[in-house]
Amino acid sequence: MDILLKERTQARPRGPKTRFRLACSKYLAILRVSAANNLAYILEVIFRALFLIVLIFVIGQLWKTTFAQHGSLLAGFTPNTMVWYLAAAEIIATSLPALTRTIDQEVRSGELAYLLGRPCSYVLYNYSRYLGERLVRLALNAVVAACVALIFVGPPQIGLVGVLAWPVMVFLAITIEFVCYFAIVLLAFWTENTQPFAFTFSRLELVLGGVLIPIEVFPQPLRGVAQILPFSTMLYGPSRILVRFNVGLFGQLLLQQVITLMVAGLILLVLYTLATRRVSINGG
Amino acid sequence: MTLVRSCGSTLRFIGAYFVANLQAAMEYRVAFGVQILVMLGNDCLWLLFWWSYFQRFPLVNGWQQTDIVVIWAVSALAFGLGMAVCGNVPKMAQIVMTGGLDAYLGMPRNALLHLCIAATDPSAWGDVLFAIGAYLLLLHPGVLNLLIFLGSAVAGALIFISFMVIVGSLAFFLGNTDGLVQQLLNALITFSSYPMNLFTGGVRILLFTVLPAGFISFVPLQMLHHFTWPLLGALFGFTLLILLCAVGIFHLGLKRYESGNLLGMQN
Repeated sequence: MDILLKERTQARPRGPKTRFRLACSKYLAILRVSAANNLAYILEVIFRALFLIVLIFVIGQLWKTTFAQHGSLLAGFTPNTMVWYLAAAEIIATSLPALTRTIDQEVRSGELAYLLGRPCSYVLYNYSRYLGERLVRLALNAVVAACVALIFVGPPQIGLVGVLAWPVMVFLAITIEFVCYFAIVLLAFWTENTQPFAFTFSRLELVLGGVLIPIEVFPQPLRGVAQILPFSTMLYGPSRILVRFNVGLFGQLLLQQVITLMVAGLILLVLYTLATRRVSINGG
Repeated sequence: MTLVRSCGSTLRFIGAYFVANLQAAMEYRVAFGVQILVMLGNDCLWLLFWWSYFQRFPLVNGWQQTDIVVIWAVSALAFGLGMAVCGNVPKMAQIVMTGGLDAYLGMPRNALLHLCIAATDPSAWGDVLFAIGAYLLLLHPGVLNLLIFLGSAVAGALIFISFMVIVGSLAFFLGNTDGLVQQLLNALITFSSYPMNLFTGGVRILLFTVLPAGFISFVPLQMLHHFTWPLLGALFGFTLLILLCAVGIFHLGLKRYESGNLLGMQN
């Protein structure tokens, strides 16, 4: 009895540093398990990456033809930088996991009630799970896309600073995507099905996010609208910085990413608070 | 006489399933409407992409904006019709893998046909609405062109379905090919919705054989520009060929199928 009491009193007082370290190791463990799960089904990940070859080939072919007819420089892009831009944008666009479907199912089936009772934040638990899956896909996509672009237009004409800035922007971009999609899927508490909303968001992201055409090439007023919208921070921003680094633009896009993340995070927080109030857990 | 009666019976069977599937989808009216609107919006967004592209580059390899509207309309109608009537085909690999084929093999009707028409994809109606709307509103076609458009779309729908049956049947030989089926279907849709003049040599041969995107959008576009009987013959000849291949490969695979002893009922 004494020993038990001693263990309990010893376990209780923990400093904020220790608590933070323990929380980090907890979420890192979830991330590792999620990554390992995806590596276990590597064939499926490879199949998805194969479609990337088709996408880069088709869109690259479109731009090669366009450059051949309309000059070798379009809005500052050369054929080489354009294909590498497309490859960089497609790496992010095609690595998005089925986040909304999973959480939508958890909400609908009531599994959420059990997950909420776990000693971890439901949002951070999903974020770790999402990151684990996404990082595996990103890595494989990057290898495939780089090979295709190399064969297509040769080595990239990009600077080292762009290569160093790219991971930072990609990390922020995929975090923004997580927050946006998570906020969308929380609508499952009020609506029949959230898949149409997620689908619409993904299509808007593809077209207005500059994955097929860099935003500079859009005609006005579409260009102005696309630059303001949050979609440009997810695909256009990181890809543009990788292939044509510019300090001013980097600062501007980074600021836009941070503001987007804060606004989206706030919306998510409000929705999450409202949604969890609607959860009723019955014993059994 | 027996053949006519058999055809009539099959058409009635397809019609009955079509109505039942539509009624089932309309049970959730809001979800049904939202799915249609979302797909309509998705297709319009792609047209927006092409509009913005052609604003900057009005002519690419002889292609102009109206050509893009035609290939989008004809491929969307082909895919939409295919998925509205045979919405179960994309799930074929999964059905074979999980032993779900048992439910169809025990029925008196043709197993392949029954499997294909057992479900509808509500979002396909969004594609159908987009295709007809875009073609009529943006191109103002004459009666002959409208007939060619509709005929080509029906042939395209049969090509889509046959292609999916062929790749879905790979599950009989290779095991879990669900991911591969999805990727091949995405590849077919992608190639169908881009100007064919971008591709030359081996890729073009591939697009008229293994991945028949050329027959879904390019041949109809050529017929709408300048109708010739050989083009029509090529389109319907290929449609018949791929249909026969799909039926043949499915039955070949069926010989390797092992029942999953799955207990369940068709819903």
